[in-house]
Amino acid sequence: METECPECAGTVSIAAPEKGEIVECPECGVELEVVSVSPPALALAPEEEEDWGE
Amino acid sequence: MTPDDGAAVDLLAGMLRTPSLCGAEDAVATLLVESMTELGFDAGRDGAGNVVATLHPTQRSDATGEVVILGHMDTVPGAIEVELYDGALYGRGAVDAKGPLATAIVAAARAAPRLRRTVTVIGAVQEEGPSVGARSLLQRPAPEYLVIAEPSGWDAVVLGYKGSMRFRVEVAVAGGHSAGPLPSAPEVAVTFWNELVAWCTRRVPGAERKGGFYELTPSLLAMNSTHDGMEDVASLQVGLRLPPGLEPDALQPEIEALLPDGAFSFSPGEPAVRSDRRNPLVASFLRSIRLEDANPRFKLKTGTSDMNVVGPVWNCPMVAYGPGDSSLDHTPEEHIEVDDYLRGIRVLTRVLEEL
Repeated sequence: METECPECAGTVSIAAPEKGEIVECPECGVELEVVSVSPPALALAPEEEEDWGE
Repeated sequence: MTPDDGAAVDLLAGMLRTPSLCGAEDAVATLLVESMTELGFDAGRDGAGNVVATLHPTQRSDATGEVVILGHMDTVPGAIEVELYDGALYGRGAVDAKGPLATAIVAAARAAPRLRRTVTVIGAVQEEGPSVGARSLLQRPAPEYLVIAEPSGWDAVVLGYKGSMRFRVEVAVAGGHSAGPLPSAPEVAVTFWNELVAWCTRRVPGAERKGGFYELTPSLLAMNSTHDGMEDVASLQVGLRLPPGLEPDALQPEIEALLPDGAFSFSPGEPAVRSDRRNPLVASFLRSIRLEDANPRFKLKTGTSDMNVVGPVWNCPMVAYGPGDSSLDHTPEEHIEVDDYLRGIRVLTRVLEEL
């Protein structure tokens, strides 16, 4: 699968994509989530929030 | 037997009605062994008192290794009347962590006809204390995937917990008149505390820019002083929340050096644990949460859980997952929204079917 990074518009190639998979854009380094395989689509991966519970 | 939504609520309500203070989990353990056996688990108790319940794969698959879901049966003190009110189930442990444990039980039972791997659900003892149950599990082989059953919120997964350590320090000085030039023991203790706070900031430079998960955070838990006319004695109890990369044992001499005349006693600590998010376990949770029409979230916890105990040893793909608002942990208003509980069950059921 080859598609565009939503952050920098660079090209991201993924050999065997799976929905939900987290990948890194080779051009800008941002982490991306595969939100669709057909048609291919990437979104910025969820950010990490802090929570004080235990 | 496949539990429907009503049976899921009944299971959790039964668990909440059965008190299980840390170290006194026998009654709820008996309930869980009976309930899980009825649901088709191979269930029993291990030598530490943990409930260990297994479902075997029913689908032909080349998948190897097991999925372990590790929750805990014990709660903190403070009885809360168990009642269903305005769509929420109230009771001690509803969030921390009988709700997430019941979620795991029901989800595994629902996924049973489609399992590709062995799934083992464990209700550990004494997580709210010295983690006796989790420590006893370290002799087990590492699972393929680990889910800690703790509240993340039904639409979020927890990727890590800070570490922790505690110590007590006592300082004694010869008694003297308060108008004299020498500092009193309480003044020495307060000076130490201020130096400790400054050391925490120095020890992890730049942490404040990365957020609280990456900071070394001190808490003054208790202080006391006595004076018998001959000697001034002051003591402090201190907790430290540790970011990734700091080992409790390695920090001890640095802390002792801040007060060379102090008498220190350290309790066993746990390092922070931080899992990778690029693995099939995380991907499966993200897919499953999105199927509930939600945007999944990642969380890093500034508290601790049994992930701190087993995570560094098993070193497998791991997350913590469970419905519930963890800001209600240990509070008199502890409750779980029933809709959130049922969504959490659906999310985890699909994950277990996929793995």
